[in-house]
Amino acid sequence: MSRIPTCREVERDLVAVAAGEAGPAAADGVDRHVAICAECRDELQRYRVLEDMVSDLRDAPIPEADPALARAELESQLADIRSRLVTFGIFGSPLGKILIARSELGISMVRYVSSEVSARARVRQLAGDDAIEDEAAIAPVYRELLDYLHARETRLDWALDLRWATSEFQKRVLTATAEVPYGAVASYGGIAKRVGAPESVRAVAQALRHNPLPIVIPCHRVIGSTGDLTGYAGTRIELKERLLSLEGVPVRGAAHRIDRRHMYVWVAPYTEYCVPTCGSIPEMPLSQLTLFGSRRHAEASGLSPCGTCRPDLHPISA
Amino acid sequence: MVRDMTGDPFEAIVATHHAEIHRYLVRATSRPGDADDLSQETFVRAYKAYRALPPDANVRAWLFTIATNLSRNHFRAEGRRRQAMAMAAVGATEQGPSWPEGEAIANQASQKIDRLVAALPFKQRAAFTMRKVHELDYDAIGQSLECSAESARAHVFQALRKIRQGLDDLDVVHTER
Repeated sequence: MSRIPTCREVERDLVAVAAGEAGPAAADGVDRHVAICAECRDELQRYRVLEDMVSDLRDAPIPEADPALARAELESQLADIRSRLVTFGIFGSPLGKILIARSELGISMVRYVSSEVSARARVRQLAGDDAIEDEAAIAPVYRELLDYLHARETRLDWALDLRWATSEFQKRVLTATAEVPYGAVASYGGIAKRVGAPESVRAVAQALRHNPLPIVIPCHRVIGSTGDLTGYAGTRIELKERLLSLEGVPVRGAAHRIDRRHMYVWVAPYTEYCVPTCGSIPEMPLSQLTLFGSRRHAEASGLSPCGTCRPDLHPISA
Repeated sequence: MVRDMTGDPFEAIVATHHAEIHRYLVRATSRPGDADDLSQETFVRAYKAYRALPPDANVRAWLFTIATNLSRNHFRAEGRRRQAMAMAAVGATEQGPSWPEGEAIANQASQKIDRLVAALPFKQRAAFTMRKVHELDYDAIGQSLECSAESARAHVFQALRKIRQGLDDLDVVHTER
C-alpha cells in the first residue's frame, strides 16, 4: 500500500473529484486522504456544494443582457457586410485564365488574367477587405461560362452587379451593349445612338474598353464603323475573333474585319431581317444596323424573314 | 442563373451559436454592453473567415476562441479601470445578506458567484466560464487561451479555489458535517 498523500498534494485532486473529472488513481488518493483528514473532507464537501452552485450558472438569467437585441444588431451588420462582400475565383478556360467575381446582387467582374497576382490585387483594390477568394462559391457560375465558351449554351442569364462601372454613362453603354443579340454585331456608333449620344462614339469605345464584365456584357459584338474589329482586352483582338466565331459571325482574313456584304441585316425597330442588298440597306451607315452571321441566330432573337427580300428563300451564299 | 446568397450557411451558425457566445462574453467581459459589441465583432470576424475552415472543424470551439481573443484584447485595453470596478462590486456584496437557504433564492447565489468570477484575472475567468458554464473540454479551452490543456485545467482550478475562498469570506458556503 502506497503512502497516503498529504493535504497539499491532494488539493487539486479534491477539486477534480468534486467536479467528477478525477482519474481512478487521483480519486483513490483523495478517498484515502479524506478518510483520515476531517478538514479536507469538509473541503471536498464545500467543493461539491460549489459545483452545484456553479452548475446553476448555466441556466441563470444574466442581468441587463439582451441577447435578442444584440442578435438583431448583428444581423443588420451582417446584411451590411454581405452587401459589400465580393467573392471571387480564378479559373482556366479556352480563352486563358479568367477571374469571376460576384456579390449578393450578381456577377460584378469577369477579367482575363495574365497575372494572378495583379488580378487579385485589382479585386482587393476595388473591394478591399470585403473581397474573399472562394472558388467553390463561384464554381457553378464558372461551369455555365464554360458551357458558353464551348457553344453548348448561347445565353448567360446572370444577374449583374454594375457596382464597378465608373459612370452613369458607362452603365448606359453597358446596358445597351448587353442587348446586342447572340450571333450579331453592332457598331460603336450604333451603341452611341442607342444611349442617346450619337456624337460620343469615342466615349462609347472607352466605356467598353473598361467593361468590367467582358463576355457577359458582349463588348466583343461591338465593332468599328468600317467593319474592323478594332480592339479587345488590350491587344488581344484574337479573343474577340474567337468569341465571334463561336457565335457564327464570320471574321475575314488577317485584317480582322467583318464584311457586311455577307451578313444578314436587322434595322431596328423592325421585326424582320434582310439580306444585305435589300432596299436601301447598302447605303445605310453601319450605326443603323445590327448584322447577323446566320439566319438561325437572327430568328433565335425573335426576328422573322423579310417579306420582300425573303432571306429564307434566298440565303446568302457562303 | 445566379443563385442568391440568402441561403448563406453562416445563417445557421449565427442561429445556433450566437446566444451562447453572447452569454459567454457577458461573463468574460463582465459587462453586458461590452458583450453586445464583442459578440457582434466575433461573428463579423467569423463571417469573413469561416469559408477557410476545414469541413470537420469544431465551429463552436472556434467561435469561443475568437470571442476569447477579442475579450482578452478588450480587457487589456480597459486595463485597470475595469479591474477596479470589479473589485468595488465584490466589496459591495459584503454589506448584503449572508448565504440564503433554499431554491427560491438560488439566483442570488449565482449572482454572488458571478461577482467573484468578475474579479478573477482574465485567463482564470475565461477558463472557468468555458469549463463550468459552457462545458467545453480542456483542449478547446487551451486552444482559446493559447495554452496547453493542462494549463487550462490549472486556470479552472485556481478560479474555483478563489471562488470558494471568496464565498467563505462572504460566509456563504455552509456545509453540513
